[in-house]
This record gives sequence, C-alpha cells and structure tokens, in this order.
Amino acid sequence: MGKQRKGSKSPKRAHRLHDTPRSKDADHLRLLPRFDELGGLRPGVSKTVSTDTGVPEATAYGVASFYHLLARPDVDVRVCTGLSCQMAGAADVEAALAGAGAAVEGCACLGQCDRAPAILRTDAGGGGHFTPLQAERPGTPGAPWGEVALPAVHLSPDSAELAINLSGAEDAGWSAHTHAQSIGPDATIAEISAAKLRGRGGAGFPAGIKWAAVRANRDRSPIVICNADEGEPGTFKDREVMAQRPHLLLEGMAIAARAIGAAEMVIYLRAEFAAPRKALLTAIAEARDAGHLDGLSVELALGHGAYICGEETALIEALEGHRGMPRHKPPFPTDSGYLGRPTLMNNVETFACVPAIVTRGADWFSGLGLGEATGTKLYPISGDVARPGVYELPLGTTMADLLAVAGGVMGGALKAFSPGGASSGLLPASMVNISLDFGPLQAAGSMLGSAGVVVLNDSRDIAQATLTRARFFRDESCGQCAPCRIGTQVIVRMLEQDHTDADTLERVCWEMEQGSICGLGQAAPIPIRHLVQHFPADFSGK
Amino acid sequence: MAHPDGNRADDKAVSIVIDGRQVNARAGETLLQAAERIGVTIPTLCHDERLAPTGACRMCLVESSDSRRMVPACRHPVVDGLVVQTETERVARHRRGLLSLYAADVDVVPGTELQAHIRRYGLDPGLPAANAPRAGRPDDDNRYVLFQPESCIVCARCTRYCDEIEAVSAITLAHRGSQTTIATVDDVSLLDSTCELCGGCIDTCPTGALVERKSAHRQATFPALKPVRTTCNYCGVGCQFDLQVDAAANEVVRVTSPAPGETTNDGNLCVKGRFAYGFIGHPERLTTPLIRDEAGELVATDWDTALDRAAALLQKTAARHGANSLGFISSSRCTNEENYLVQKLSRAAFGTNNCHQCAAT
Repeated sequence: MGKQRKGSKSPKRAHRLHDTPRSKDADHLRLLPRFDELGGLRPGVSKTVSTDTGVPEATAYGVASFYHLLARPDVDVRVCTGLSCQMAGAADVEAALAGAGAAVEGCACLGQCDRAPAILRTDAGGGGHFTPLQAERPGTPGAPWGEVALPAVHLSPDSAELAINLSGAEDAGWSAHTHAQSIGPDATIAEISAAKLRGRGGAGFPAGIKWAAVRANRDRSPIVICNADEGEPGTFKDREVMAQRPHLLLEGMAIAARAIGAAEMVIYLRAEFAAPRKALLTAIAEARDAGHLDGLSVELALGHGAYICGEETALIEALEGHRGMPRHKPPFPTDSGYLGRPTLMNNVETFACVPAIVTRGADWFSGLGLGEATGTKLYPISGDVARPGVYELPLGTTMADLLAVAGGVMGGALKAFSPGGASSGLLPASMVNISLDFGPLQAAGSMLGSAGVVVLNDSRDIAQATLTRARFFRDESCGQCAPCRIGTQVIVRMLEQDHTDADTLERVCWEMEQGSICGLGQAAPIPIRHLVQHFPADFSGK
Repeated sequence: MAHPDGNRADDKAVSIVIDGRQVNARAGETLLQAAERIGVTIPTLCHDERLAPTGACRMCLVESSDSRRMVPACRHPVVDGLVVQTETERVARHRRGLLSLYAADVDVVPGTELQAHIRRYGLDPGLPAANAPRAGRPDDDNRYVLFQPESCIVCARCTRYCDEIEAVSAITLAHRGSQTTIATVDDVSLLDSTCELCGGCIDTCPTGALVERKSAHRQATFPALKPVRTTCNYCGVGCQFDLQVDAAANEVVRVTSPAPGETTNDGNLCVKGRFAYGFIGHPERLTTPLIRDEAGELVATDWDTALDRAAALLQKTAARHGANSLGFISSSRCTNEENYLVQKLSRAAFGTNNCHQCAAT
C-alpha cells in the first residue's frame, strides 16, 4: 500500500536498481522442467504447475508461452527454415509432410545445416522429448545426410596442430585438468590470457579477462555455465564438439571452475540436440567415476526452443525459469549473473580450447592463428558447397581457402557467402579473400560471430535469402523492446513489398541498431544493409 | 533524498551534469529521477514510478558519458561525474525513429502518453503498418476491462502493476516477438482469472489499449472530459478519484485515479471505486425519503416527516421492550462523523451499546 505523502507531487520512492520484484527465485527454478514433465503448455497445465511450484498461474503461463517447444506441444514435425535448409528444399519437405496430414510448422535453424534439409520430430509420448534429428532425403549434391554419414571433420593442417581435433582420441585421464590443478588458479588464468583466447560463441570477448573478473568475485559462490544453446543459423560446430569430444568440453569447464573457485557447473543445451546430450551424459558419468569432478557438481539443463536464449543474459533468465528476455548490462554476469551470483559463461568451443592451451602452452596456441588471431577455429560450412561439415583451421583462414578445403562451390559460381551466422549478413564473391577473423570481418561491416559459413551460388536470389533471415529475426526476437520487436516485423513487410525504399529501410535499421537492448536487434540490420550495399541488382530487382 | 529503507551505505552524494546543469543526487538514484528534480523532461512510456524500472520501451534513451550506446534514463544509475545529454540530435533522431515504429505498430489513441510524445517529438520515417499478429481475448466478455491489442505497445506496465502493486498476477506477457501480447492463463475471461477488477491496468496503460468496456466507445472524447476530484464513499479508506464528466450532458463517463503520490490511494482504486459509479445518474436512485402508507406501499415524503416517523417508532419500541431491543447499524458509505453520530444516538440518546458499522471488522 502507498503511504500518505502530504502535498508531495514527487513521492520519495527510489527503487533499488536491478532487483525487480517477482515470485520467489526457488519457485521459478522448477517451472520449466515441470512444464516439460507435463507435456508442454496444454489447457489446464499452468494451474498444475502453479500448484506444484508456487509461481502464480498467469506468470507460469507467460513463461511457458515464450518457448516454442513448450508453447506448441501438438506439432508433430518441425521443418528447419534456416538458409541452408531452405536452399536444399525444406519448403517442399514441409509441404509434403503437411500434405500427408502431419501437424507441421517451420522452426528456426536446427543446427543440422550439413544434413539439409533438417526436420525435428516430436516423440509420440510428448513430454518435451524429441527424436534425433533426421534428414528425410538427400539435400545439396554431395552433402552428407542422415543420422551419421560422412565424418563431419575434414582436417587440413596436421592433426597435431589443432586445439580441439574433433576426431582425436578423448583423454580419459584428463591430464590437462591435473596439470592445471598443479599450477594453480592464477597460473591457469594467466595462461588463458596469454593465449589470447577469444570467445567462440559470437562476441569474441577475451576469455582470460572474463575468468579473472569472476575469480575476483570468488567469495560470492561463482558458477560456471556452458552456453551449449547453439542456434545461430548456419552453425553446428558445438554440436560436433559435444557429440565427439564431450570429455574435452567437461575438462575445459572443470579447469575453469577450479580456476575461478566455483563448485557448480551447468551446461545449457539445446533440447533438440539428442546425440550431444547422450554423449555428454555418458561423459559426465565417466568423469564422475574417475573422480575428475570431485567437489564439482554438473547439471545438464535443456533449452525449450528459443534462439534468444543463446544470448548470455537471456540464457540466465531461462535457467532461472523466466521468459528468456535479455537483461540490461551492466551488471555483467561476471558480477551478477545466475541468481545474482558471479557467473562465468563461455561457449562450448571456447571451453574445448582450454585443455590444449593448458597442456601445450599459450605460445603454442597463439602460434596457430594467422595474423593477429590466435588458435584454431571450428568453421562449420554449408549451403552450395561440395563437402559441408565442420573444418578446424587456423583462425584467420580466408574464405577462399575454407571453400577450397570444403570442395568448392556447387551448382554454379560463388555469388555470396555468410561468414558467421545470420547476423553477419551476406558478403559478395568479390570479398572471398577476406580472413575469417574477428577484426577483418568487423572492419568489413560483418562479423566472425559463430563462424557458421553459408555458401550461395549464382543461381540464388540474395533478396530472398535476406528475407529468409529477416523472418528468422522477426520470429526469434524476444519482443521485449520495441526497436527489435517492431523493427524486425516492419522490415519483413517492407522486403515483401514490391517497391522498397532504401532510405526508409536504412532509417529503420539505424533505429534498431541504436535503440535495441541486446545484440539480436542491434545486429539484425546487418543483412539488410548488405543486401542494399552489396547486391543492388537483387534488391532493386524485386 | 532519503531512501524509504533508511540510510544505506551506498546512499552517498554524487554530482552529475544534465544538459549542462549541475545536479546533486544520491547513489542508487536513476538519471530520470535526477533529471525530474531539475525540471528536465525525459519522455517515458513503460515507466510508472510505483514499479521497478525495466527500460524496455526505449523512449527514455539519452546520451551518457559512461556508455557508447544511449542508455535508458529510467534505470541507468547516477555515477559521480557523469555527463548526460537529453536533447542531442542523436536522441531526437532516435525518438522520431522509435515513435515511427510505434505508430506503425499500433492505433494511436487520443489523449494518451503515446500521442503526446508523437505530437511533441514527431515521426520519421513514415512506415507501412506493421500488422503484428498480437492476439486479444475476443471471448473475454467481462463487463469491466477491455483489452484492445491493436493499441498495445507491450510495455508491460499493466502486468507489472498486477504483479508488483496488487500481487494478483492475473495477466501476463505471453508469447514472444511480434506475437507478444497481454494474456490471461489459456486466454480465459478476466472473471475466471485471479483478477480482482481493480482496473489499475487501465489507469497505468500509456496507450489506451486497456479501457473500461462501458466507456470504450467514447474513448476519443476522453481528453474533453472535465475531472471532478472527490472521495470514494464505498468504504472507510478514503480513496480519492476523479469523476470524468461530460459537462454538456452532465454525465459521469468514467472514473480515473489521481496520479501516484498525490493522494492516500497512490493511484490505486478497487472495483467499486473504479467501476461502480452507475448509480450516480441511475433513474432508480433514491433522491428523497420514502415511508410506508397504510396500505404498506412506499411513498415519497420530506425529511421532517420521515425523521418524525422513525423517531416515534424507535421511542415506542424502546418504551415497550427496553433500549436493548434496538440495534443501530451504519454503513461504511457514511463518513466518520456520521458514524460517530450514529453511535452517539445509540448510546447517549437511547442507552444501548447495540451499535455496529459494517466496516468495523
């Protein structure tokens, strides 16, 4: 209740920042798992979940409705709307399935671009369990398809000169972990810093700085979270790390946990990734049995169908059982993240680089990169390319060299390529000699991002490809802030129209970039600007 | 400025500069609070000072020396030495661009905060309608609160009010992206939800998306209504509200609550105060005393006759059966003074303690 304030027009009310009141944290933690157990958001389920958790019924409903896998439990099959899958005929697959009477809907990139077109079947039993991803038919000529086909790894450098080496043998003894414990936290962090390891999830933030920041807060129960919510369109590298080198990931996380003084680790995994999940569960059990995880807990938390939860603060919101809407920064998660605790969050690939750095040293790692970049990088490549897959190459490899390793362009000459996920846009063939590295791509108005490369041959309409990605951003915007929620919607409508004025488009892009809260809205204009700037014929040809 | 929760350690004084003017503030305050104190207007939409700030509507973005990006004034903390600019070309361009998006997304309702911002800051560029697939609740036929999704900017003031002030949580943000909307559980009627029909959601809505159903068809005329401040007499709390009067028709069209902080009720009302004003002009409203004639029918009379009749019968009953055969019950709709007089009548005039007032429990 408000208190009487005599004659005061400006009440003495000062909210403490960053402590938005809402239902009790502990109640929310059980919310999404409970919806999972009850088979998703069906009529009446919110009431049960509310009774079981103590979260108000409407709040529970609002949270579950945010996540597509929960919100639409009656969908039988989801068909990937990612660019590589669309180019491989996903729309035909969707029409055929719908024609056969299945409840079908499109979904955001399933991270199976090398097996395009990909679909996701919901288990008959419901309950949020999904069958392994299946590709129903061969896609791009030469592309592997099916559950496991061609090896996903094609090595160009000597396999001894790889930080991860997807087809390498797992080290059951966790020797890097042992070594890190012998040299201690400070020396471990110093090694990571000296290696100049930059985050492999998209933003490229220096890992050493992040680790040191969390370690400085080690008296407040820090936690390690692995961002395994790989959802950036065109990206499927973390999937392979988890499926093939789960011990490498766990070892990297454990080294990080001991370095920053954390006793808890969480892996936030895309629920759609069945094979990686199985591999991780096995590896966790093995590591526990071997005693590697003594004093450390590991939890595997599953996503529920929301691309935005790959954004670190949205991921934390999801883990806490809220709508996956990104937070404002500051505070940064290193200071106040999961449940207000200092949180070290890194991408799967980032953690997987750690054991090699610890074992072989910062000098070795930094010597692997080309130019200023350090280390090797997993480059997933798909689309009109002869051998789609994940290639581990020195960071800074040019697009031309990556294309050559992957067997070259299929179905025509190179017209465009997307260097690092949906928000990196599409660059023209004339830029094929650009280094796939943080700095050069940023300077070119693009980004390395997740390094998910998609190749388009000269039969492709770039306006259509751009529209595909604009629709993706529209569907995956969390809806919290207007520049992103409305901007992505307006842009799709403008691109769908016959006559779109470039100046008006640019003004909308400016507002989205300037006004949006998080990286999704800020970066969504990049593909639009690329269309206008690099592909005027396709743009005006609409 | 003191915090309501006392002298915290971080309540230290800081000094910042807003649009070239020095402002003294305290750590823990926001840029918006500091700016308000020196009369600098920063437009807001999702802000309601009773609610924790979210910074979601982006209307209050300003330039601040501690950030490359523009920051939301409603939740950006003051830091000593900060230099803030609220009227740069970048901020102005942002306001026009943002309002253009809002105008493309919703039907702008006259007399609302959104329309006022559009008038003051302008729109650029002109955009095609966004046609967002934002669902309403067409089957919700409750007679009190109407949700018009075509005018909703999803600022979540209503849902946060329902959570944070009323602790009712009847409505929620639901779905996501351009489908984000204000929903009840499974889209049931508000009457089937936990809603207590306080109508606070209507009051805090900055776009008119939430409106009283009964007066919704007159929404365009709201700015022309004349507010008459009065005290609610449905109970003893003493909430104040404004009867919004159509002067020409001498008719109460709706009830609004005074701004938060102005009156005891801090901008809040209950279902009675907000919606139960229909009696004011009702044809069956009692405007004169009634007494029963020999045939037992109620007939209109004057106050003297009515009071004489009541006094005579009360005295007759007390004389025959004793004072404790009488009981005096007064209404919570009476004022304190009236209630006092009723118990005085009971105890002093008739000598019985059989008196009660329905809000006494």
